[in-house]
Amino acid sequence: MLILQVLINGILLGGLYGIMAMGMSLIYGVMRIVNITHGALIMLGAYITFWTFTLWGWDPFLSLPVTILLLFLYGYLLQRFILNLIVRAQMYLTLLITFGIEVVMVNLARILWSSDLRQVTPSYTAANFSVAGLTIPYVRLWVFVTTIMLSVLFLLLLERTRLGRAIRATAEELRAARLTGIPVGHVYAVTFGLGAALAGAAGAMWGMLFPMTPIMGRPLTLKSFVVAVLGGLGTMMGPIVGGVALGLAESFTSTFIGPTYPNAISFGLLVLILIFRPTGVLGRRER
Amino acid sequence: MSTKRWVSLLAGLGMVLLLGIAPEIFSAFMIQFLINLFMMAILAESWNLIGGFTGYASFGNAAFFGIGAYTTGVLLTRAAFPFAVALPAGGILAMLFGVAVGMPVLRLKGQYFAIATLGIGETMREVVYNMEITGAGTGLVMPILRTPLTFFYVMLAILAAATLVNWWVSESRFGYGLIAIREDEDAAAAMGINTPYYKTIAFALSAAFAGLAGGVYAYWITFIDPNAVFRMTTTIQMIIMAVFGGSGTVLGPLLGALVLSSVSELLATQLATLGELFYGLIIILVVLFMPKGLSDLIRQRVFSLKYFARNLREYRI
Repeated sequence: MLILQVLINGILLGGLYGIMAMGMSLIYGVMRIVNITHGALIMLGAYITFWTFTLWGWDPFLSLPVTILLLFLYGYLLQRFILNLIVRAQMYLTLLITFGIEVVMVNLARILWSSDLRQVTPSYTAANFSVAGLTIPYVRLWVFVTTIMLSVLFLLLLERTRLGRAIRATAEELRAARLTGIPVGHVYAVTFGLGAALAGAAGAMWGMLFPMTPIMGRPLTLKSFVVAVLGGLGTMMGPIVGGVALGLAESFTSTFIGPTYPNAISFGLLVLILIFRPTGVLGRRER
Repeated sequence: MSTKRWVSLLAGLGMVLLLGIAPEIFSAFMIQFLINLFMMAILAESWNLIGGFTGYASFGNAAFFGIGAYTTGVLLTRAAFPFAVALPAGGILAMLFGVAVGMPVLRLKGQYFAIATLGIGETMREVVYNMEITGAGTGLVMPILRTPLTFFYVMLAILAAATLVNWWVSESRFGYGLIAIREDEDAAAAMGINTPYYKTIAFALSAAFAGLAGGVYAYWITFIDPNAVFRMTTTIQMIIMAVFGGSGTVLGPLLGALVLSSVSELLATQLATLGELFYGLIIILVVLFMPKGLSDLIRQRVFSLKYFARNLREYRI
């Protein structure tokens, strides 16, 4: 029974990891940018939800569209006016500039909102229900359902729409995409916006489950990357698989080995995967 | 070796001598500032060995700094070793750690290497956080040394050594091997360079200097805890100082450390977060406008907006 409970906890958390990593994987897959800003975008999503909840009493699930829209806009502008200027440079330069943006965002958040621990606590925070002796918290279940819905929507957008085709074409072959009349600068910005929106959604839900601080994003950037690599960087279904895998790994180790090393375990896992199977579980070969 | 090289070497030695008599001239505050500056310069030069010359951008070098700090700290407090033993031990352990993690991790390329090292840096903090001997989360309190000038001279000596090693790398067959790896690793291997060996040595040297700087830092600051020595900020600082000054050059990282740590010191006296904010902004501006660093700007001798505009255009989509 305990094992079943741990399994459920792991899967429910895994959905959230999956959606975090989806944004990271998309941005890497299309533009080859390792987006260190990702965790800061998650942080921003969490704080937007916190403020709409605290100031105006908006339900955190219902304010999700607002968070997503704001983060999309922010991501779009960031790519359009800053990252597009450097996107063809060597990897370490793009990595470095997203690093710089992250540092600026985190420290602005520190100045604006202080480093206090905060959490979004709607009335149903602690509510849960039991099925066959298993305890399932409502919030976690809804978070899981929402992540699945969002990822399905996202996949439909990529696979079925004209915009999605443009994004995939740009990822496939930049020059050819430009020649067929795709506005690649715009497509890059939209892609980053979508990645940021997914990060923001993840942050909004993270803030319902765990306390937030301006620096909450740093380990989450790494986790998103771990999950994305686990599933295969640049693939779209990979992050979900990787997310559930990491959720399960963390939930099992913290129950059976001890809660002291959750991050060490995910990073250990990362290094091992990078060495033995750098393309990930569902990954394809590097071009 | 050209005469120009000898002149710059002599100039460097003269500089060291000049700094050697600095304690006679400067105030106590200035001395503290200089110690910090030397430390930053050591870290920038140490990162330069792996990130600049070899082209492997490590984002986890704070791990070596932390290992050096903790090794020295534990030996000083738990075993009452003299500093003269504890400090080299910190450097050596950091170096061994660099070899141990370098062998697998240096097989990774580009972004995978960057992220793996980032992970190692974060993991080390957590490991130390959970270790008994390091005082876990509470940290370690060092004995107080009555002669603060010791730190000044030791830091300066390590900086001189780090700069000399960078200079040796820029002039030697070994260093040309590293540069060949940076330019094209497959071609370097095809030319008979034992790339895993070269990369591991560069990583180990980088780790050793970061570890030594950490060791001095621990004794100088007298209190360390995992969050203070395994900071991502430390890694950011070394990278940006090296890149700002000009990575892959000998004097670039020194220049970067001098300029950036002076400005950030001025800002940090206002508000601690401002110092970090400043680093973030500098990173963004440097990557956009002068990705080859200050030393390239000086070498080009074109102090016009055209230089920046050209850089801005170079990588845009």
